[in-house]
Amino acid sequence: MASVNISQLNKKYGAVRVLHDLDLQVADGRFVVLLGPSGCGKSTLLRMIAGLESITSGDVLFDDTRVNDVHAKDRNIAMVFQNYALYAHMSVRKNMAFSMRLKRVDKKTIDEKVTWAASILGLEPYLDRLPRELSGGQRQRVAMGRAIVRDPDVFLFDEPLSNLDAKLRVQMRTEIKELHQRLKTTTIYVTHDQIEAMTMADDVVIMRDGYIEQAGSPMEVYDKPNNLFVAQFIGSPGMNIIECQVAVKNGVYYATRDELFLPLPAQAPVEDGQALLYGVRPEHMVPGVQSAGSGDSRASGVVRVVEPTGPEVHVYAKMAGQDVCAISRERLAWEPGETIYFQPDTNHVHLFNKETGAAL
Amino acid sequence: MSSSSVKTTLRYLFSILIVCVFIFPIAWFALTSIKPISAVFNKDRVVVFDFEPTFENYQVTVFGGKRSDTAAGQNMGMGTSGTGAYDGRSSIASSLIIAISSTILATAISLLAAYALSRLRFRGSQGFMHWILSQRFLPPIAIIIPLVFIFRDLGLRDTHLGIIIAHTLINIPLALLILKSFFDDVPIEVDQAAMIDGATRFQCFYLVVLPMIKGGVAATAVLCFIFSWTEFLLSLFLTSSIRTIPVKITTFVTSTGSEWGYISALGTAAIIPGFIFILLVQNHLVRGLTMGAVKE
Repeated sequence: MASVNISQLNKKYGAVRVLHDLDLQVADGRFVVLLGPSGCGKSTLLRMIAGLESITSGDVLFDDTRVNDVHAKDRNIAMVFQNYALYAHMSVRKNMAFSMRLKRVDKKTIDEKVTWAASILGLEPYLDRLPRELSGGQRQRVAMGRAIVRDPDVFLFDEPLSNLDAKLRVQMRTEIKELHQRLKTTTIYVTHDQIEAMTMADDVVIMRDGYIEQAGSPMEVYDKPNNLFVAQFIGSPGMNIIECQVAVKNGVYYATRDELFLPLPAQAPVEDGQALLYGVRPEHMVPGVQSAGSGDSRASGVVRVVEPTGPEVHVYAKMAGQDVCAISRERLAWEPGETIYFQPDTNHVHLFNKETGAAL
Repeated sequence: MSSSSVKTTLRYLFSILIVCVFIFPIAWFALTSIKPISAVFNKDRVVVFDFEPTFENYQVTVFGGKRSDTAAGQNMGMGTSGTGAYDGRSSIASSLIIAISSTILATAISLLAAYALSRLRFRGSQGFMHWILSQRFLPPIAIIIPLVFIFRDLGLRDTHLGIIIAHTLINIPLALLILKSFFDDVPIEVDQAAMIDGATRFQCFYLVVLPMIKGGVAATAVLCFIFSWTEFLLSLFLTSSIRTIPVKITTFVTSTGSEWGYISALGTAAIIPGFIFILLVQNHLVRGLTMGAVKE
């Protein structure tokens, strides 16, 4: 096992710069998820760690060894690809044994390892089948089996679940996390699915346009987003963002927009007249029939759509011309067109600079 | 009958018709090869099946038998140029040597080149492909004269090696193009997975990607073999004593007439190796061998 340290990493394709001076430390045994929209450079970064993509400048270190010029085959990593990339002409057993056969490991050890991996992944009945005779989930497991038999220093996953159906994805998610808890191998996992990132990661690294926007534990990036992009990217349904202006009424600061008077946190670093973006997650947008707000705060809107999901109800409403969503665990029956009052929880309000998007 | 079964019937009839159109010349050719001369050259009517089959044409052309007295006795034998003139055995041997060797060479060279062109990015790789294809733009007749001189000066004229090289060179561009498209169908992640598993570039090629495109290799080999087996012009100009089957057959057309019996016998016999070869590889001629490698 090894830690992975990335410093001042750059990648250019001709004149196009896709990664900008990235710094990232992945401690030994951690499960780190690189998260971002497509084209943000997360896969490129992963492939540079794997040695499949050249490094324009900067360093990749495994523990203290610089691996920039080490060939992929000598890095002792294992990688699971989005499309599995199985060896179609080889049985499941041979797929998993391939790396050991290349290293001329003796047959007994190979058999033991393959049996061990197959038992972990539930592949025993399929060992002599060809990949084309397996379902998507089983193929995915073979790809993982091929990775774990090698005792790699680092596991790399490149969107491994995006080709599976929703149910299988949830199941495999748990399996991968369980596998990591069992093997404790340093893992770097790329995905664009924030639920995967939130559920699996020890640390989430959120990327955009070749920059790291924020890195931290899942709850940290959820509760304390550094900027507007992270706030909106994490969470589903996304955070409500309302363009506001600060106003004072009876000595209290409010974020206002038209007839809205949204409460601000007690120590908010704002001044009268300041334009800002007011962010509040749907679960902190407590809905009620009557204005439950204290003082002069007023936040009302008109119900557009109500989506009961089972455990909770999602209410979409229009508030001062902006779409907002609130989540309630109470089974309240809202009707479209009805007036709805909200009470944003001031402990969970996020304020962002209107120009830069940085958190205030 | 429902409309769909009418459609099916029509489709079958049409298919049979097409097959007949293609089969008829070959069947007629094969039939001619077992006809006695009297049946071939009947001036009064077309003899289809009412003749006494004879294998003499094969005896002479394929097994090196002597021209029998009966043929000569019919007084219809054409001007013969000696007893050995119709013996096709050495031609069959030459054709086999040349076709098999040039097929192996062309396929092997194209495989390595196609893999490189499919997987490696280098300056001008795109232009390189076009340049290779451009080698086929000229019809062989346009290059035959310089080729004859070059081969003569290199001492390759009238040697098996010479024709093997010529056929290999003609086959490479096409084989390369076909094989490259098969390699392109195998996702590059498969190579990368193998490399991460510890394979060298050559091991990627040999142990992983090549077995996945067996079908494509077989198809390419068939095409190369058929080209070389039936090629006429280069063989005619580049040899004088070595005669491949197509060239040999033309010598049966003599100044005093054509030996249709021998022509059809050697011609029919020449179909057989190609046919056997295709039968051998036809199991590999199915696509979809790469199925299962990736999520479709």
